[in-house]
Amino acid sequence: MVIIGVFSFEYASSWTFLYPLPQLSANAWGTAGALLYLLGMLILGVGFLLFYLDAGRAIIKNYGSLGKGLGWDVISGKKSEDNAPSSTVIASTMVIIVNVTALTAGATVLIMNVINVVNPAFTVDPLLAKNLTYAFGHIFANSIIYMGVIAVYEILQEYTKRPWKVNKVFLVAWSMSTFFTLLIYTHHLLMDSVMPAWMLIMGQALSYANGLPVLVVTAYGALMIVYKSGIKWDIGSALIFTSMFGWVVGVVPAIVDATIVVNEVMHNTKWVPGHFHMYMALGACAMIFGFMYYLARQDSHIKTNMADRFGFIGYMIAIIGLSGSFLMSGALSTPRRWATHIPEWMGPAIFGGVAGILALVATTIFVIHFIRFILIRNKTDERTGMNKKQLA
Amino acid sequence: MMQTVAWVVSLVFMLIVTAVFGIVAIKSTEERDYTPIKKKWYKARTFYGVILVVSMLVVTIYTLRDLPYNQPVYSAEAQPTIVDVEALQFGWELSETEFKVGEPVEFHVTSKDVNHGFGLYDEEMNILTQTQAMPDYTNKVYMTFEEPGTYEVLCMEYCGLAHHLMTAEITVTE
Repeated sequence: MVIIGVFSFEYASSWTFLYPLPQLSANAWGTAGALLYLLGMLILGVGFLLFYLDAGRAIIKNYGSLGKGLGWDVISGKKSEDNAPSSTVIASTMVIIVNVTALTAGATVLIMNVINVVNPAFTVDPLLAKNLTYAFGHIFANSIIYMGVIAVYEILQEYTKRPWKVNKVFLVAWSMSTFFTLLIYTHHLLMDSVMPAWMLIMGQALSYANGLPVLVVTAYGALMIVYKSGIKWDIGSALIFTSMFGWVVGVVPAIVDATIVVNEVMHNTKWVPGHFHMYMALGACAMIFGFMYYLARQDSHIKTNMADRFGFIGYMIAIIGLSGSFLMSGALSTPRRWATHIPEWMGPAIFGGVAGILALVATTIFVIHFIRFILIRNKTDERTGMNKKQLA
Repeated sequence: MMQTVAWVVSLVFMLIVTAVFGIVAIKSTEERDYTPIKKKWYKARTFYGVILVVSMLVVTIYTLRDLPYNQPVYSAEAQPTIVDVEALQFGWELSETEFKVGEPVEFHVTSKDVNHGFGLYDEEMNILTQTQAMPDYTNKVYMTFEEPGTYEVLCMEYCGLAHHLMTAEITVTE
């Protein structure tokens, strides 16, 4: 529905649309396109919501409550650290809590937009709609990295042969991440001075604080577990380690942008995609690609080759180049989402385009490796580990 | 200029992060017992955590002293010029577009249709300030132009297919 709405009915509000853009398109698209897109997104959101509700149900069934899934009984001293939930369960609980909230907010604003498109006489408070949109978008986008970090916890332990034990500091950090991720979406509204000032100040202060769990606990833990571990590097482990670098390095310009006086000149410039490409592409995506390489190594005899090494190095260079070009563009005051650029803005844009091509090549190499793994895996007998030719 | 400060600060801290991860990656091929490493670096973490929290508190307090939302205190002789700004797909309606250097100006920004962004650019196309232009609400921007010249207003919030055509000019004279 989303694809038909966009390509057949020329719906072009982008996924970050703000009410009432779906209904007021200046005659660029009509009701059919808007409804296809909005209802398609709503179905997607409901699907995700059901998934998270089911995952939440499983955690409540096994651990008693979502609070216990976050290890609050360990923090309060009722249970020992040895009996704490695994890092996977803790991260999953956090993501369930924040994403159920996000999806509820997102579905609400989508339904409001649907009714507004069908009947423009039905209107919504634009500031309320904006709050709901960012409450959804911020949380849902950020939760990707909190899901991806599960791979980091599990895989680095195995590569380094060192335990990544859950302790009280770890649990407190994840509870902090849960609360801060829910609350800091207001840093997207720093240029709406009609918002209550305390919410905007909270947006800045808690955005800073949200950096603490990753800077002091998760990334620090990753550095400690790798340091002098004698780890045997391969593409999988290298991508996983790089993902923690991407996350931390992306936090820096994110925190800078969450500062109100900086946001006054950086909001909706290319600085914003600059920081989120760092922690999404070099962080979250590297976690996913790292997991793909890990899985291929664990579950088949596939070997990595020169192309994969080129892919890894190329991906790092490409994403650093791409994010760097966005940040530079932001520093030059280039606005986001402009279809045309003045000559002064073109230098970093061209550089970013070249970096983007390299990122595409590197990503294609990762995907080819994974497809090769699937093909080999399908040809391999599960019991004997032999391929069909050997069996014959 | 705030953009330069943000760029340099980010670059410095990003380089520090790169150096730390680089050193750990280089040292990773050595193999040592984990227990003394944990003991040493957990102790260091307490120090590092405290430094980080204190630094963040200091920066938070320092940067929150003067917010763009606060109306400046005007003297009796220098009352601000109020400029009503209305955004609409795809243009700007400003009640005044010519100002004097040193004249305090308040832009009262709203929108007739969808969300837009009111971004004020100088002659070198550096953004000076901005606010959101939103239907049913009026956001205020306080500005005193320090240099004569032609300033531009650019839309900073995606508002439809011709978003990039949404510009206006402001003239500031001595």
